[in-house]
Amino acid sequence: MNLAKVNAAREALPHLGLGLGLRNVHFEHILNHNPKLDWFEAISENFMDSGGRPIYVLDQIAERYPIVLHGVSMSIGSTDPLNRIYLEKLEALAKRVKAKWISDHLCWTGIMGGNSHDLLPLPLTEESLAHVIKRVRVVQDILERPLVLENPSTYFEFTHSTISEPEFLRVLSDATGCGFLLDVNNVFVSCYNGDADPYAYLEAFPLDRVVQIHLAGHEDLGTHIIDTHDRPVPQEVWDLYRKAIQVRPQASTLLEWDGNIPDFETCQEELFKAKELSALNHREEVSSSKSLSTQEGLSTPVDFLCPEVMASTEMVEPR
Amino acid sequence: MKPDTDTIPLIDLQKWMQGALFTPGLIAKGSAGLRVKPSSRLSAAQRLAIYQRSFIERLRVCMGEQFPALKYAIGEDVFDDLACQYIRDCPPQSYTLYDLGKRFASYLAETRPDKDLPNMQKESWIDFMIDLVTFERQIFEMFDAPGYEECEMAITDTPDEQLTLQPCLTLGAYQFSVARYYHDVKHKLEPPLPAAEATFVALVRKDFITQTLNLSPGQYRCLQLMQGGLNLPKALAVICDETTTAMDEVMDIWSAANGPRQNWIEAGVFAARPTNLT
Repeated sequence: MNLAKVNAAREALPHLGLGLGLRNVHFEHILNHNPKLDWFEAISENFMDSGGRPIYVLDQIAERYPIVLHGVSMSIGSTDPLNRIYLEKLEALAKRVKAKWISDHLCWTGIMGGNSHDLLPLPLTEESLAHVIKRVRVVQDILERPLVLENPSTYFEFTHSTISEPEFLRVLSDATGCGFLLDVNNVFVSCYNGDADPYAYLEAFPLDRVVQIHLAGHEDLGTHIIDTHDRPVPQEVWDLYRKAIQVRPQASTLLEWDGNIPDFETCQEELFKAKELSALNHREEVSSSKSLSTQEGLSTPVDFLCPEVMASTEMVEPR
Repeated sequence: MKPDTDTIPLIDLQKWMQGALFTPGLIAKGSAGLRVKPSSRLSAAQRLAIYQRSFIERLRVCMGEQFPALKYAIGEDVFDDLACQYIRDCPPQSYTLYDLGKRFASYLAETRPDKDLPNMQKESWIDFMIDLVTFERQIFEMFDAPGYEECEMAITDTPDEQLTLQPCLTLGAYQFSVARYYHDVKHKLEPPLPAAEATFVALVRKDFITQTLNLSPGQYRCLQLMQGGLNLPKALAVICDETTTAMDEVMDIWSAANGPRQNWIEAGVFAARPTNLT
């Protein structure tokens, strides 16, 4: 795809409104109640190989709501060759559910055939930039659509990084036309961990290329913050969101909740706070109830990606 | 002074970081300080350690979700140690977490401490563990395997000649009653470790529920022959030959009320006609 075509396709992506990350524990509720929600984001890897209930459910949800695919294993920054089989399956899934767009992360997950199942940070250098530009172009050619990349939460920076993350992403988009999924929680987490100012980060971010915004909760351990996705969105993240959505109102908003997942209504209620930003200015109240955790949680939890299989089994007793 | 990492290519930095996660004992001491920026609150090594802890911890949790019965059988602490060792020795190679436990049974078999002893001297509880892990993996794979949910299943009137195994079916032969154990764990019956007992099962998914059917050796053989491509009458004929049993006798057992024919049709073992999904 040439750059003009990718840019045009990215700019034509729809504004979907408020959406929620699709999780197994909410399947029944969604199918039975058709909750009032604008769209769902499905984790690509949970469905691309599915021949069972997950894909059966996703097919039904895709008939009722717009779907966006969000991946964790493209490994766009890895020095391993791109996994063509993975990309072909991703493309097939996107066609099947008529995905509005496909996103993944600016990260790598492993090399030499290994996979850490973590979103590992890239050294932000000219070499990395050239490498990622090349790979984004290949991916966009295979998927025949703009790739949407998310800023990851990071727990360190490499010493020899020479480019800031917003600048890295700006040049990447200029060269490839790719769009961005701005995770404002990740902005807060990474900036806290790296002693950076999240508002300066936002100021420098290519917000005009943002297609989607992620909201999530995190765990503050004092010395560092872990991106746990296991609690409500903290006030600091809402504040960043307000800033971002003011500049980029066209972006669709999505809440991720991956650990200690509450019932659907609770997630919905948390998401709908995004509608009421003007009434959300409870900085003092929230700050006073803020507490530090003493035990480190899991960053970007993945256990929710494993289905609870035991519940779907039964022993046929002889009669 | 800028560290000498200016010249480290991306591939070498990624090798270093993956090594720090997969084999933390093998990376050079002090190497984090050369590659990772410290923060105002944490040293370079402490910041790297966040990723190191997270790598093992998140996969350990996933292993527990893929092998809940083994976790119950050997206790949480032993399971966690075993799972962490497995992750260290067999780091993931697939983009999907569904493959995480794929090599666990063979790993246990290869690393069992009594591996080189004669079979008679081997610890039976390790055999049980391997059996249980194999069964749990079969169950896990059945959950999301290509199924037959929206296709026509055989009914009582379907002639024997047309009975075809549906694609989402697998067989298992075990030294222990692991299927019973698994379901007892599921129902929180706190089962004790079972004694050795040869058992045969079929796992078949119907309406997205994976059912376990206990089989006699003859029933297991019949389904095994059908998996090999024989139709049902031919499979029964082979069993007659192998067991020197008269066909009439086999057919009486097969067609009896509450016999295998009726039970298997109700459980969704058979498609109504040959399937192209196999």
